[in-house]
Amino acid sequence: MVRIPFKRLFLIIKMYPPQVGYFRPESLGEALEFLEREEAKVLAGGQSLIPMLKLRVLRPKYLVDIGGLKELSYIKEGDTISIGATTRHFELASRRIRGLEILQEAASKVGDVQVRNVGTIGGSVCNADPAADYPAVLTALDATMKVRSKKGTREVKAHDFFKGPFSVDLNPGEVLEEIRIPRLEGYRQTYRKVVRRAGDFALAGLALAIKLDSGVVKDVRIAFTGVSQGPHRAKEAEKVLRDSKLTKDVIKRASEASTSGANPPSDSRGSSWYRLEVMKRLLQTSLEVMANES
Amino acid sequence: MKVEPDQKVRINVKVNGVLHEAEVEPRKLLVDFLRDDLGLTGTKVGCDTTTCGACTILLDGRSVKSCTLLAVQAHGREITTIEGLSSDSKLSPVQEAFKDNFALQCGFCTAGMIVQATFLLSQKKDMTEEEIRDSIHGNICRCTGYQNIVNAIMDASRRMKA
Ligand SMILES: Cc1cc2nc3c(=O)[nH]c(=O)nc-3n(C[C@H](O)[C@H](O)[C@H](O)COP(=O)(O)OP(=O)(O)OC[C@H]3O[C@@H](n4cnc5c(N)ncnc54)[C@H](O)[C@@H]3O)c2cc1C
Ligand code: FES
Ligand code: FES
Repeated sequence: MVRIPFKRLFLIIKMYPPQVGYFRPESLGEALEFLEREEAKVLAGGQSLIPMLKLRVLRPKYLVDIGGLKELSYIKEGDTISIGATTRHFELASRRIRGLEILQEAASKVGDVQVRNVGTIGGSVCNADPAADYPAVLTALDATMKVRSKKGTREVKAHDFFKGPFSVDLNPGEVLEEIRIPRLEGYRQTYRKVVRRAGDFALAGLALAIKLDSGVVKDVRIAFTGVSQGPHRAKEAEKVLRDSKLTKDVIKRASEASTSGANPPSDSRGSSWYRLEVMKRLLQTSLEVMANES
Repeated sequence: MKVEPDQKVRINVKVNGVLHEAEVEPRKLLVDFLRDDLGLTGTKVGCDTTTCGACTILLDGRSVKSCTLLAVQAHGREITTIEGLSSDSKLSPVQEAFKDNFALQCGFCTAGMIVQATFLLSQKKDMTEEEIRDSIHGNICRCTGYQNIVNAIMDASRRMKA
């Protein structure tokens, strides 16, 4: 018989985060100052961080709580849309932005109502779960991340920012301040995801933006989530579609091409093969809808 | 506000209209603060992993899962728990509707469901069955099969309009 020590048993029943210090800055400047000096982790909504603390995947000395910083919570509209890092999912889910309709659609599919009430876009982006929803959207739309530290500001393209599962281009002391997304006016946009159970992370998700002129594809952006180490931009499929009409044959070839370079995991939610099939179907049916509408 | 890992932090939180001042470790979960420190055991812990919604409370009027927030994150803010929905032993319309529609069996999910339904109805009075089902998917019930819960929420919405 395996004997579980009493203390271990207790941990299994109820999970507590490890001992940790806490800092609540009054401004972003104060947060950057603190992060420069101390071994600390940013806390935004906590919807990914607190579960990780409970599992002891992370053991920072301090948490720097930027969740209440008003200066980081905003949506500014211009030719580019600028979104503050601590803007909450529900705020994005309840705002239709012209030329960026896809963001509302993606935000309203994150987790559940309670998670959307607390979780932030910056937190989701920095957490970089390989099945998260925003990274695919930001990759498809060539968004730019504005990163701040005490030393200064730098900008990173989405394509370079997402480095792998739970890994982004952020150095110690750096905070994601803002996400900038170009406004794609005149594009049809859609974000769709397939889940096994309500509230699950995506088995596969598709971000699609397409510009048609008399039925001919002028521009198209396709990125998937859940099918690789990070967001998967389907360049091959884009190539098939560009300057073509959305005929049955073109759609079929684009869907087949979309899996080129994808490397989906096999896990309890679905096999790698199944995820590839879901990808093709997602793209095919989305394109069919758009072809019928035009 | 800066607290060392081995220190406690003083927080002010208004819970169900009453201002509480308390000292907690920064790592203390909000649900443990409510249940263990304030004795408000109406809020339940089902999964402890942000999945089941039994721990749902209102933070500044919006529903959140209190097993996945730190007590210190609630500093300076307002909380409503299931205990705060009724006054002078008079049930709220949502509570009445749950009772009248037999929307509970073991009752473990009920506090979270009622708080979540209260939040949803504060945002939108007229929800379709589809919308209700979609917006309670962060609340799991192992007993009822959900039908009576959905009925109760629709009924509550009618009562609140009447
Ligand atoms: C039940 C459940 C279901 C979910 N379902 C989905 C889903 O379907 N799709 C989906 O995409 N997500 C899902 N999520 C995750 C959700 O989107 C989280 O809200 C998000 O991943 C984290 O946001 P947060 O603000 O809570 O960040 P936190 O948990 O506070 O932080 C997450 C990480 O990012 C870092 N961080 C946060 N903000 C910054 C910043 N500005 N600069 C630098 N680093 C920062 C933190 O240090 C931490 O490492 C789900 C979560 C739960 C609990
Ligand atoms: S106990 Fe918080 S969601 Fe289950
Ligand atoms: S009534 Fe038993 S879990 Fe819902």
